[in-house]
Amino acid sequence: MNIRTHLAVTCSALILCSCEEKQESVLNTEPPTLHVYMWADYVKPELVKQFEHENHCRVVIDTFDSNEAMFAKLKAGATGFDVALPSSYMVKVMKEQEMISQINRSMIPNLVQITSDVANRVHDKMMTHSVPYAVSHTVIAYRKDRLEKVDPTWSALLREDVKGRTTLLNDMRETLGSALKSLGHSINSRDEQHLQQARDVVIQWKKNSAKFDNEGYKTGIDSGEFSLVMGYSGDLFQVVEENDKVGIMVPKEGVTMSCDEFVILREGQNPFLAHQFINFLLDPKIAAENMQWMGYLCPNKGALELVARTFLDHPAIRLPDELKEKVEVIEDLGPDLAKFTKVWDEVKAAR
Amino acid sequence: MKRSGFFTRSVILTVLVFFHLPLMVLVINSFNASRFGGTWEGFTTHWYSDLFRNREVMEAFKRSLVIALWSTPAATLLGTLAAVALHRFHSRLQKVHFLLVQLPLVLPEVLMGFSMLLFFVAMGINLGLTTIWIAHVTFCLSFVTMVMLGRLQDFDFTLLDAARDLGATRWQATTRILLPLLWPGILASALLAFTVSLDDFVITFFVSGPGTTTLPVQIYSMMKTSRSLPIINALSSLLLFGTVITVASIHWLTRPARKL
Amino acid sequence: MANEHPTPPHVSRNEWTVTLPSLGWLLIFVISPTLIILAQSFRPPDLTGAIGSGWTLQNWETWLRQDVQHLALHTLWLSAVTTGFCMMLAIPFGWFMARTSSRGKQVLQLLVIIPFWTNFLIRIFAWKTLLNQDGLMTRAAAFMGLIPAHESLLYNEGAVLLVLIYTQLPFAILPIYAAAEKFDFSLLDAARDLGASHLRSFLEVFLPGIKMGIAAGALMVFVPALGSFLIPEMMGGHDSEMLGSRISQRAFADRNLPEASALASGLVIGVLSATLFIGGGMAWWRQFKRRQA
Repeated sequence: MNIRTHLAVTCSALILCSCEEKQESVLNTEPPTLHVYMWADYVKPELVKQFEHENHCRVVIDTFDSNEAMFAKLKAGATGFDVALPSSYMVKVMKEQEMISQINRSMIPNLVQITSDVANRVHDKMMTHSVPYAVSHTVIAYRKDRLEKVDPTWSALLREDVKGRTTLLNDMRETLGSALKSLGHSINSRDEQHLQQARDVVIQWKKNSAKFDNEGYKTGIDSGEFSLVMGYSGDLFQVVEENDKVGIMVPKEGVTMSCDEFVILREGQNPFLAHQFINFLLDPKIAAENMQWMGYLCPNKGALELVARTFLDHPAIRLPDELKEKVEVIEDLGPDLAKFTKVWDEVKAAR
Repeated sequence: MKRSGFFTRSVILTVLVFFHLPLMVLVINSFNASRFGGTWEGFTTHWYSDLFRNREVMEAFKRSLVIALWSTPAATLLGTLAAVALHRFHSRLQKVHFLLVQLPLVLPEVLMGFSMLLFFVAMGINLGLTTIWIAHVTFCLSFVTMVMLGRLQDFDFTLLDAARDLGATRWQATTRILLPLLWPGILASALLAFTVSLDDFVITFFVSGPGTTTLPVQIYSMMKTSRSLPIINALSSLLLFGTVITVASIHWLTRPARKL
Repeated sequence: MANEHPTPPHVSRNEWTVTLPSLGWLLIFVISPTLIILAQSFRPPDLTGAIGSGWTLQNWETWLRQDVQHLALHTLWLSAVTTGFCMMLAIPFGWFMARTSSRGKQVLQLLVIIPFWTNFLIRIFAWKTLLNQDGLMTRAAAFMGLIPAHESLLYNEGAVLLVLIYTQLPFAILPIYAAAEKFDFSLLDAARDLGASHLRSFLEVFLPGIKMGIAAGALMVFVPALGSFLIPEMMGGHDSEMLGSRISQRAFADRNLPEASALASGLVIGVLSATLFIGGGMAWWRQFKRRQA
């Protein structure tokens, strides 16, 4: 009995000691930390390491899978993030809510690299509160080994041979937006009739699909679990790079475009590092390396000259010219968002 | 004693296969060179070395350990006290107390997580390690109490009275007799609390803040990106190994006390 | 709890000292959050995701909507089926465990506890591996001609149920085993001697004898299952949404905390009534027994 008592005391003492040690290291010896809140697989890990090394800091990245989830988390009291990466329409909301602070332009000399075609399409054209980072489209990926001849159209989602093997984005604006596009309407339509038509289209898609999914489709199309998925262009590009059985198709009716932008959060602890981080990723050489890893186009003049031509010509990276006219950016709809929510609920309830 | 019938035996076998087949497949797949584990494509330890090189996993694991190490002592202390109270006293108060202790065990996790989230929002507490710690202490506490209640039932409280009769102070009786005899139980429940804390996903998911990705949250996001799939197999196998060791040691600590 | 020490009246201050820490903690971090969701469910939502001021009943009107009612019924149904299956497996298992040798008991206990202690996400992941289009189960089913080759078994209600049962089964086995351990098996022989069949003595002597264990097991399976949201998300398709998924969707995607609160409060009420129903039944039975004795 005595030996066991002794053992127990030693064990608990050890546990307590290790606690204290951990605490100390958290409080004193830590280098400054930059907290970044972004989408998964959205920056090349080696580049983050390089930044840490150059700036003697630590970068902690947390991920979200939709703008709304990110917003909800920040609203619920997740303070302490320095940099976030919302899509353009969400930047507007966050600005109105006074959640983000003004960009100190003098600390980001690489701002001149941002291409005007993108800057002109986002909400914050003057880049006072946000800096465009990457452009993404909602497109379709499919298994080349399983499907013959996939026409570039949204109605591919209704093909008989993919029944139960497709996924739709669990993102109200993207999925309803794509349906609106397939009908020839604007993705920012506030017309209730348009929305009802779009709802019926999505319900048809839903009946042919396995589930709504925002991240898992990557694994699914890669492993062959799904035959055809709707997803973000860069994510799908990453899959195509590793798996030659997967192809990407851009529907000819047009697609949504969203531009994810860096914002600096008002409640962040480290605005200096936040500016440094943004400037670092806008450096042409870094941006070129980064975009080829993640598969999203960075609107960066210098970088676009550095990347391989073949990369840029991939339809998932830069849309074919004839589609450029048909691309629209998702905008904030203010109170009219409720119309979308209502229709989306009906989609979810339909069986 | 009668032998059990064919039906019972087949149920036992089914349940055991049902329980362990998925876990065994995980372990086997962790050595499978195939990226998706559908077919056997040769033996490899590649995924394990990938795992140890994966910085996010290692950091999440460390963070989970820190949280568990901090939650365990608090939960063990509170839970043991609760068990002693429940065991020794039988007032109306203890009835309420017992109900409250059982609540976190039964309450769906989504409710615990969501209500705590709103509580922290209402109180203006920033989400982060502190909120995770509070949540973990809360549900670990109940597990500790239940284990300790079981242990206390085997404990002969007349020993304490005897010590007091022989002139020991209450403090002496507690530290010299009660605690030493209860140590194995306390250690076992601490281990349980530790494991439960390490394991929690849902509640942590609700109350986590910046930079607090725990191991389960990390596994969750890895399950969605194909590059990491086989790493999860390797990680799972290691965790499974840890579980077996922990379960075995708890089993050893809480086996019925032999006569001295 | 069940022990015979009389409580001398003078210890009441001591009682408070040992009770207060855990009692206070639980009151602050379990009871008051629950009251807070109840209160917030009467607040109007704010378009920006915050909680508005003033009071309203509009969030509770969500329960009048057909799709929410459907969701609630569906959740009840899935939890009930899970409980049923768990009981069907756990009762024979508990019976066998209680009757086997003490060494056998220890081994079986370990074998039940190991999956129970394995990380929840890992258990879900393991089943995803087994049920995807190249998984072991899928191949077996295709081999037996049950499904076409390379057909995934994931993303349907069956997959959700399977994993619900998988994760909840230990919660059913452990209390039932504990009750069966205390059951006096010679009663069965007595019943048999009096001419009862195997089945009849099992149904009329054994089952009533472990009633408490069954009730506790049912409670431990049914109530947590009501709140599942990860399993339907990972294993289910369009038809397997549960109430928990809707709560997290309202909280995280739609930024409507008040409506999420109304849904959660409804779930709390459901959980409480299920607990009171089963717990009340147990208490009634105990009293009934005592009166009989």
